[in-house]
Amino acid sequence: MMLEVKDIRKSFGKTEILKGIDFEMDQGEVLSIIGSSGSGKTTLLRCLNFLETPDAGRIAVNGETLFDGERPESAGAGELRRKRLHFGLVFQNFNLFPQYTALENVTLANLLLAKQQPDYKQNRRAITERIVAEAHELLRQMGLSDRESNYPHQLSGGQCQRVAIARALALKPDILCFDEPTSALDPELTGEVLRVIRGLAEQHMTMIIVTHEMAFARDVSSRVIFMDNGLVCEQGTPDQIFGHPREERTRQFLLPFIQR
Amino acid sequence: MMKKLFSLVLAAMLLMGVCAAIAEGDLEYVQGKGTLVVGITDFAPMDYLQDGEWIGFDADMAKAFAASLGVKAEFVEIDWDNKLLELANKSIDCIWNGMTLRPEITDATACSKPYANNAQVIVVPKAVADQYQTAEAAAKLQFAVEAGSAGQDQAEAYGFSYTPVNAQTDAVMEVKAGSSDAAIIDALMAAAMVGEGTSYEDLTYTIGLNSEEYGVAFRAGSELAEKLNEFFAASWKDGTMQACAETYGVSAAIIPQE
Amino acid sequence: MTAEQWSIVFNALNIGFVQTLRLFFATLIGAIPLGLLIMFGRRSRFRPLSWLVQGLTWIIRGSPLMIQLLIIYYGPGLAFDWHPWGGGEAGRFSAAAAAFIINYAFYFAEIYRGGIASIPQGQEEAGLVLGMTRTQIFFRVKLLQMVKAIVPPMSNEVITLVKDTSLSRIIALQEVIWAGQKFLKGSNGIAANILPLLCTAVYYLVFNGLLTLLLGRLEKRLSYFK
Repeated sequence: MMLEVKDIRKSFGKTEILKGIDFEMDQGEVLSIIGSSGSGKTTLLRCLNFLETPDAGRIAVNGETLFDGERPESAGAGELRRKRLHFGLVFQNFNLFPQYTALENVTLANLLLAKQQPDYKQNRRAITERIVAEAHELLRQMGLSDRESNYPHQLSGGQCQRVAIARALALKPDILCFDEPTSALDPELTGEVLRVIRGLAEQHMTMIIVTHEMAFARDVSSRVIFMDNGLVCEQGTPDQIFGHPREERTRQFLLPFIQR
Repeated sequence: MMKKLFSLVLAAMLLMGVCAAIAEGDLEYVQGKGTLVVGITDFAPMDYLQDGEWIGFDADMAKAFAASLGVKAEFVEIDWDNKLLELANKSIDCIWNGMTLRPEITDATACSKPYANNAQVIVVPKAVADQYQTAEAAAKLQFAVEAGSAGQDQAEAYGFSYTPVNAQTDAVMEVKAGSSDAAIIDALMAAAMVGEGTSYEDLTYTIGLNSEEYGVAFRAGSELAEKLNEFFAASWKDGTMQACAETYGVSAAIIPQE
Repeated sequence: MTAEQWSIVFNALNIGFVQTLRLFFATLIGAIPLGLLIMFGRRSRFRPLSWLVQGLTWIIRGSPLMIQLLIIYYGPGLAFDWHPWGGGEAGRFSAAAAAFIINYAFYFAEIYRGGIASIPQGQEEAGLVLGMTRTQIFFRVKLLQMVKAIVPPMSNEVITLVKDTSLSRIIALQEVIWAGQKFLKGSNGIAANILPLLCTAVYYLVFNGLLTLLLGRLEKRLSYFK
């Protein structure tokens, strides 16, 4: 079991957004989370990435408990950073760093992390070269070799999102999360981003994808979760969810997509 | 509005200052730091700069007085409007700059005996000077005076019609420009500023309206005022004061000291 | 005025303008980092500190700098018989610099705050999920974006500062306007002459022209990203 999520709860003020979420994932699985706006999908992703602290529940990766609401030991900032690195997150609106080139966006975090290695001082050069070489390779995989030295404002939305994916991959996360990765893109640009994600799925990257692209979710996922009103309403294989939804709410939600 | 606020803050500070500046031990204080800080303005022939050094009748006497106390005189140019504030704040130790002993000064500070005579005189164009040799004749003129100066006091005392301006020099400029008929300024200043060999050759001064005296101000209660009186008396006795006055051309104004 | 008198005048104005420049640079060197500290205080999650900074901001920005100069220079001596500055030129300069640094730091802090607020929350979040510390995020990600956002409003303040330095006359700091005004009052045998005072405007104009060019170049240098 790679990821275990148990009874995650989260409220903002009096509004309960997550009412107890449970699911599990195996290595190499691609999990799509679908559901209407406000169902808590994005909050769930943010909890996994520690951008929000759950009020209760448990998160474990590879058997290591990263969060336990029973024992909310005040994790130090350093500890929290280490835990975060199990996850990568690709944002809806990319959040690239505008003052860095595509290449620098990909290398920045690794270069900063490398400074903490004990052998950094002696091997500075070799370490830097390795990080840069990896970034070149990632950008090549994203089809952006010729865009490495461009700044984000010189790139299209689709190109920006691909840089953001490379940036997240550079840290070699166990699980890569996508928060509606194509929602901010013009329709003609979504294809190139979805293609890249599909490529990652073929390489057995473990991924959680919050998306509104139903056709894509059906095509790329090994499992689909339908969230409704802060709860997992139904989960199963894409064929089950899209072909034979058991719950009335799932059917209601999927109706417009199926008809199309 | 700004000016009102400003005076309000000054008043509050002066009030605080009165409590703080009990100047007992002023001599000890000055000797302790080794300098007598003299508050001045650029005012020839009393205090003025030559080759980077402050000289003049007042400056030279201040140096000699400081030496007699075993300290160095340090000259600091101040904003004349803030002279009492500077004194109370101890950013200066005395005001020594051809200062007229007016009641608001003598009430708030410890002053020396007067050491020079001064008068407020009427400055008019040379061409018409002989028509205005009496106060009665001058009464029909439009005057310019420095606001809050001894000259303004005299204009009021005589019931002259006047415009207050920023500085005595501005008052003279008013006459030169013709926007006022006459100005009332210090005799010593008039002697230096108008007439032959000055920037105002076509102006002159006529009658003195009053007589007044120059003195040096220390913090209220300071024993330095008495020290200075003793020093003046000694300097008069050995003739150094007269010699100094001679150097700066103010002999006629000096008051004998004893 | 004769050529010799003009040379006296310009000599005095030059000396005065050096004092103006010293005050200008001292203020920038002090207020730019101090403003950052104040901004952090204002944004602190420790509420009393944030309130304190807000109160101070109100006082410092809401009251005339001229009064602040008076309080800083004359206040300690009058209220506590304490004389940190002394009477000489150096002490007056230090007091003026202190007043200007404090005053401008509070203005700068508000500009910085606006600059920080203009950076999308996503930048911080992106840094966090990439395992960066908050310090790294501030210096490696936000700072330059903030600098870019604040260059135009800071340019305004800096040019105002050049002219504001003349307020230090109130504590008898002999900057360029004081130097020019001397010849109106009478100095070195030149009296009631307004030309030297008018000439000081040329000094300000030239210096502000240079600053405008420099700041414009900085703005251009930062235009490589959006």
